[in-house]
Amino acid sequence: MRLSTRKLLDRSFTGLGFISIVIMTAALLFLLTPIFIRGSRAFLFRATVEHRLLMLEKFKRGNPEKIQIEVEQTQKMRRPVYDMMSQYEKEISQLSRLEKMEKKNQLRELKKYIENLLGPAPGETRPVLWRDQYGQTRWERALAHLQKVLYREKWDYSDPTKMGQKILIPRTEDFKGTSLENLFPYIENNLKKMLSPRLTFYWRFLTDKSYDAHFFGGIWPEMLGTLYLTLGAMIFAIPMGVIAAIYLTEYAKQGTVISVLRTCISTLAGVPSIVFGLFGLAFFINTIKISESKSVLAGSMTLALLILPTVIRASEEAIRAVPVTYKEAALSLGASKWHTVLTVILPAALPGILTGIVISMGRAAGETAPIIFTAAVSVGKPLKLLETFTQPTPALPWNIYNLATEHEAVDEIRHVQFGMVLTLVLMVLVLNMAAIILRARISKKLKG
Amino acid sequence: MKSFGKLIAFLCVLAFVSPALASDKIVIDGSTTVGPIAKAFAEYYMSQNPDVNVTVSESGSGNGAKSLINSACDIADMSRFMKDKEFAAAVENGVLPVAHVVAMDGLPILVHPSNPVDELTVEQVRNIYLGKIKNWKELGGPDMKIIMISRDTNSGTYETFETKVMEKEKIAEGAEYVGSNGAVRQRVQSTPAAIGYAGLGFVDDTVKALRIDGIEPTPLTVASGKYPISRPLFMFTNNYPKLGSHLHAFISLYLSPKGQEIIETIGFVPVTQY
Repeated sequence: MRLSTRKLLDRSFTGLGFISIVIMTAALLFLLTPIFIRGSRAFLFRATVEHRLLMLEKFKRGNPEKIQIEVEQTQKMRRPVYDMMSQYEKEISQLSRLEKMEKKNQLRELKKYIENLLGPAPGETRPVLWRDQYGQTRWERALAHLQKVLYREKWDYSDPTKMGQKILIPRTEDFKGTSLENLFPYIENNLKKMLSPRLTFYWRFLTDKSYDAHFFGGIWPEMLGTLYLTLGAMIFAIPMGVIAAIYLTEYAKQGTVISVLRTCISTLAGVPSIVFGLFGLAFFINTIKISESKSVLAGSMTLALLILPTVIRASEEAIRAVPVTYKEAALSLGASKWHTVLTVILPAALPGILTGIVISMGRAAGETAPIIFTAAVSVGKPLKLLETFTQPTPALPWNIYNLATEHEAVDEIRHVQFGMVLTLVLMVLVLNMAAIILRARISKKLKG
Repeated sequence: MKSFGKLIAFLCVLAFVSPALASDKIVIDGSTTVGPIAKAFAEYYMSQNPDVNVTVSESGSGNGAKSLINSACDIADMSRFMKDKEFAAAVENGVLPVAHVVAMDGLPILVHPSNPVDELTVEQVRNIYLGKIKNWKELGGPDMKIIMISRDTNSGTYETFETKVMEKEKIAEGAEYVGSNGAVRQRVQSTPAAIGYAGLGFVDDTVKALRIDGIEPTPLTVASGKYPISRPLFMFTNNYPKLGSHLHAFISLYLSPKGQEIIETIGFVPVTQY
């Protein structure tokens, strides 16, 4: 080959490598930036007085006197809203029955939206569900609800050949000339004073359990569940995987049977994860009844099966990469085979084995399908260690999916969903970091 | 090595005594329609009884039934009644399903709010899903191809739709099947030409519930039986739960005023409202 052609090829290869790295970084940034920005809003947000009141009443957190004063101040600002409404109620009681009906319906709708924004009116009986007991706890949600108070949505269907157009009708127009006319500018101008939003760092999002179907509280049960499932999967998969790998490389007679077995293991790595999930349900729960219901135990065993091929293959490669001279030296000194494997080969192969474990750990933490039928639930308490043998748990990957599709009020709790995504990404990162540091230490020790 | 042996012995002991030490639990599985009720009940019950762990999963009525048949759950949420086959399988496994009707539900037909069509008859809805009506133009709407959204066949909502609207005829090919009520709503609210159906508690401002045969789907019209597509929502237990047990207290929650209030605020119809 001519020198210039070789140079050209060389350069174009370097260029290709550079481009692919740039594209990968861009994709990663594109993916991670929104996760970080939107996820951080679960922790850092402008909390209204309702948030502080909830924290005080339900969790006994915060300074009672201070919050009491704040509540009184905001109540004072809200007073005119309720006054205007009761004034209006008096006004319409004079009207004829038919008119009264219509006005009452209008007022009822308005009241509903104001209740969503500010919480139940003073003097009303306390609702059962937390979501109805308080107004908006987050400022950005409060602004969204303010829109609903200020504007009535209407759809214009006048052109039959087209889809309708959304028009927003200011509610002031509906109540023109009545005592409610001033209500809307009042709410719009004074909402800040009625809710007194303040930037709050809610770190307890990680350590609180969720309340009222994830409307309030944090994600502790989910985090703990993911941790249990991942570690459980590791406890089952690592010994089995490493022992299998040792057997396959050191003890087994290399022949057709073993190579068929190897192909099977590789194939197992390609089986879709939902198949593992269904197998886990059919085998662990329905057949051998490892636990009465779904449980962390059944889930982590299913996850262990899922990552087993990766662990075996990685360990096998690592063991095979240990120079034969190590083994020969040990055997020549009179060490038994078992002793050689345990004291010479395994330590030398450990960094490689750990790499396999790191990769599979991240996978186990993030897998959804295997735990749907074996371990995951949408609502549940944080489990104690002993309860993991018998009880199911919420887990981050499943609950992210659940909140995104099945939850009855998806738009109200987007922040929880993003907070979960961020936490899951960070958890995998931390687990991997820990394993990488461990590996570096072991490598260093071996060299030193 | 010695410590490793000790660890194993410790784990064995742990596994052996753990069921005795673990706290009480109620495991609920099943319908995504009944899900919101079960979740709210679970939170409420746990706030009253902090030592009980109530877990809820929403995997569809069919899976709930299977779970109960295999004794893998204490309560199966179902938005339809058990089928003969399921009943037989349960009895064969020594499980006697007892039905508790916790609430009533209508099945609103949902379209995008920009859709000018306000009202359909059951007949028309059936023809849409049979593929006989393909365009909104035929129903007085704009010239747009109708996109059918349906629940998956594992769901009780699907079964209700199949019996009450389709009259056991097959839904036309080309319908999109999604896995939960929430997913139906999301699909409809983001697709102007879509039509779908979901539980009463899932209707909000982002979708439009059509009048069917001139009746608007509201808790009132469902309770009075005027709305043509309605159904009871069930919770199934294995046998009637032992009196005084947590399971009994939980399954009776829907009869209490608090339970009825929860059902009402979530958007379903309490059984006392006839």
